[in-house]
Amino acid sequence: MPTALPFPRTVSTALLLALGVYFALSEIRIEWYASLRPFFEWMETTAFGRLGKSYGGAFALVQAMHLLSMAVLGGTVLVSDARLMGIVLKNVPINQVLEPCHRLFNCSLSLVVLSGVFMACGVAIKVYYLEVFWYKMLALAMGVLFAYFVRRPLLKPSAEAVPQRLRTLVGVASLMTWFTVAATGRWIGFSG
Amino acid sequence: MNKLIYDFALWVDGHASSTSLHESFYMYNWVESTHVLALMISLGMLFLIDLRMLGFALPGVPASTIARRLSVPMIFGFTVMFATGLLLFYAIPVRTSQSLWFRIKLVLLVAAALNAFLFHRRMLSAPTGWDHQIKAPRNLRVGAALSLLFWALIVVCGRFIAYDWFDCQRDPSPLVGLLAGCLDGQTVF
Repeated sequence: MPTALPFPRTVSTALLLALGVYFALSEIRIEWYASLRPFFEWMETTAFGRLGKSYGGAFALVQAMHLLSMAVLGGTVLVSDARLMGIVLKNVPINQVLEPCHRLFNCSLSLVVLSGVFMACGVAIKVYYLEVFWYKMLALAMGVLFAYFVRRPLLKPSAEAVPQRLRTLVGVASLMTWFTVAATGRWIGFSG
Repeated sequence: MNKLIYDFALWVDGHASSTSLHESFYMYNWVESTHVLALMISLGMLFLIDLRMLGFALPGVPASTIARRLSVPMIFGFTVMFATGLLLFYAIPVRTSQSLWFRIKLVLLVAAALNAFLFHRRMLSAPTGWDHQIKAPRNLRVGAALSLLFWALIVVCGRFIAYDWFDCQRDPSPLVGLLAGCLDGQTVF
């Protein structure tokens, strides 16, 4: 009788990332990139795109909302990862910190994505040609995959049962990924 | 008063390092990026503390423990944010000092600081036993809600500074001009 693969979601995520690297280095990426151009042109014609282009105030307000939701997201990531590493709230059981942080993380991520889509619609053609935009999308995809398919399945049953060294590793990887998301996002504003 | 602020801004603007910082693509952008990333750390911590007081986050962790432990990274973030904010002002002093949004932001910063001071005082004088409750006492919840509001508005104003809607060189209405500190016959913007 075949035995079940351990950590199936983690293994699938690793395979997905490997596939992503292959895709990034192969010819397929160039063809795919060119075929995306009509989609970005369409984005600018949507209601979000028209609103973002015509009303600077609306665009700036959504930008501020994006920043605020990023702050909440950053806060939840920082606190839960620092707890994983044993830096803050050491006397509080790990899952008592991780669970509520995860719920807030879900809400803030939804707002980040929603406001991000609005902003991208307003400047779709511009960001299409920005290399840093694609880095950000890659980092965001990695952050989301890591959060939902590696970090959470590993720690949800009982984070205390996971060795401290592994918890630290997970915390560092998560912090680095979300830092990259924020930093590349900031750099989009300076490019193009 | 506006003339005094303008003269001070002109004096800052006269420094070669101010111009260098403004004109350095990488340095200016690094400072601005650090300002925003520090904002994420400080506001991230502050929002978690406020949301805990309001009963929306970390209900299982004592409120005062959250406030005490998260205040260290929060203050670190605020320090970096303040330092980089000063550098951003130093790079573009005249336009910034005459920005309506910057002026509103400063007023809101003072209000937020005052609110934080009162919040801290109320927290210390609050009767014991509320620490493990999901929601903090009413006066602390009001302080937390005000803090969220002030900081959300500060971020909005900070974002709006980048836009030139009410800049002095765009000839704003007399009221906006007065609030922004625009001067008759000024030559530097």
